[in-house]
Amino acid sequence: MLSRIIKSTALIALTTCALNAASFNAQAEKDKAEMIKYFEAKFQDPEKNKNTFFPYSSEDELKNEYSKGLKHDDFGIGSYSYAKDAREQYEAIKEMPPYEDDIDAGEVLYKKPFANGKSIATCFPDPAITNIYPYFDEKRNELISLTQAINECITSNGEKAWNTKKGDMASLQAYMALQTQEAGKKVDIKIQSKAAAEAYERGKEYYYSQRGYLKLSCATCHVQGAGQRVRNEKLSPMLGSVTHWPVYRLKWGNLGTVERRLSGCVKDQGQVPPKDTSAEMKELLYYMSYISNDMAVDGPDIRK
Amino acid sequence: MKKLTLKIASIALLTSGLLHASTLDVKKECDLKANGIEKVLATAKKYNAEAKKKGLEFRRLEVNNSGLIESVEEALKTGAKEVNPKTFKGKPSKTKLATDYAAWRACSFAISALTQAEEAKSTWRLAIPGDGYKY
Repeated sequence: MLSRIIKSTALIALTTCALNAASFNAQAEKDKAEMIKYFEAKFQDPEKNKNTFFPYSSEDELKNEYSKGLKHDDFGIGSYSYAKDAREQYEAIKEMPPYEDDIDAGEVLYKKPFANGKSIATCFPDPAITNIYPYFDEKRNELISLTQAINECITSNGEKAWNTKKGDMASLQAYMALQTQEAGKKVDIKIQSKAAAEAYERGKEYYYSQRGYLKLSCATCHVQGAGQRVRNEKLSPMLGSVTHWPVYRLKWGNLGTVERRLSGCVKDQGQVPPKDTSAEMKELLYYMSYISNDMAVDGPDIRK
Repeated sequence: MKKLTLKIASIALLTSGLLHASTLDVKKECDLKANGIEKVLATAKKYNAEAKKKGLEFRRLEVNNSGLIESVEEALKTGAKEVNPKTFKGKPSKTKLATDYAAWRACSFAISALTQAEEAKSTWRLAIPGDGYKY
């Protein structure tokens, strides 16, 4: 009798925990499904959807310059998924990508011993883990980004922290991203507590809030504006926007981290960007990453 | 008695700065003719400090609003008619503005950072597919 009671109690406790864990990401799952639905609808047929999504484009432009019938996974390569001419240039550059030396440099950094004999490999025995960042550390009650985790590894071994935007940090992340990609991993962000769900919601609010002297939100360009042309470029989609970092941007002339790009976006809105490892930056990244859940990791990559 | 309590509460909230962000009027607060440049600059400093604390400070062409404020302060000391604020990295920027206009902009940026953040609290959901954004 007693064992039955214990078993029943344990079962109830486990079920409750499982149900709670599932409910913490319920809103995020809904957001993700709606985002996929939106982008698939928008790029089902840009010419046909002109009035709804592309009121400022010409019919000729929509007919000849955009791909159509796009599905969820297609958006992993950003605007190259729908911008035909840019896609051709992208594929040409990918034949001899400019970041190959960075990957090699990253591998060296990964294995290079610190003064104490340990290395980054000691902190991250499996380098194929970029798909789980940022994650919510329940003990520390905060989000941990990959950039932060790498610098914490370095400094906890008595070394000086790296620049969080480029250089060694980007090279190491390029190596780790490639390992993750080659392992066939997909973005896998978890929300398993109330605190994590709240962090996600704050990131979402940051993404959709208009800011800076231009009063733009991230969504202005990358949700409602995605695919619309600004001068000669088509704006990239929110969906899949974090699957391919670090990125070699032709504008930068070198490899940079996702924080570098997000800072640039906030700066373009006309506001001082948050620090790379601040709560705001990690929450923003957390929201964006969750929306890209289940998409293949394909970093490092190139962008204009 | 109730009315008096409400008035006192409103005054207390206004004084503590809790209500001001949604009630500030850029045109009125930053009017150089009506207020004079010193007062406009003081307004800019006050609200920019708050915007900065909340992570909302504006930056235009590498110049943080606090850099613009500093350049106007300097111009008021020297009597310069034009300012050349420093970038956020502390280097000379490409921005060159008439001192009066720079004071107005600094004030406008400081207040707008706060008012639009307040406004965004009720508008941000309007852009979310499946929530406020319908297509």
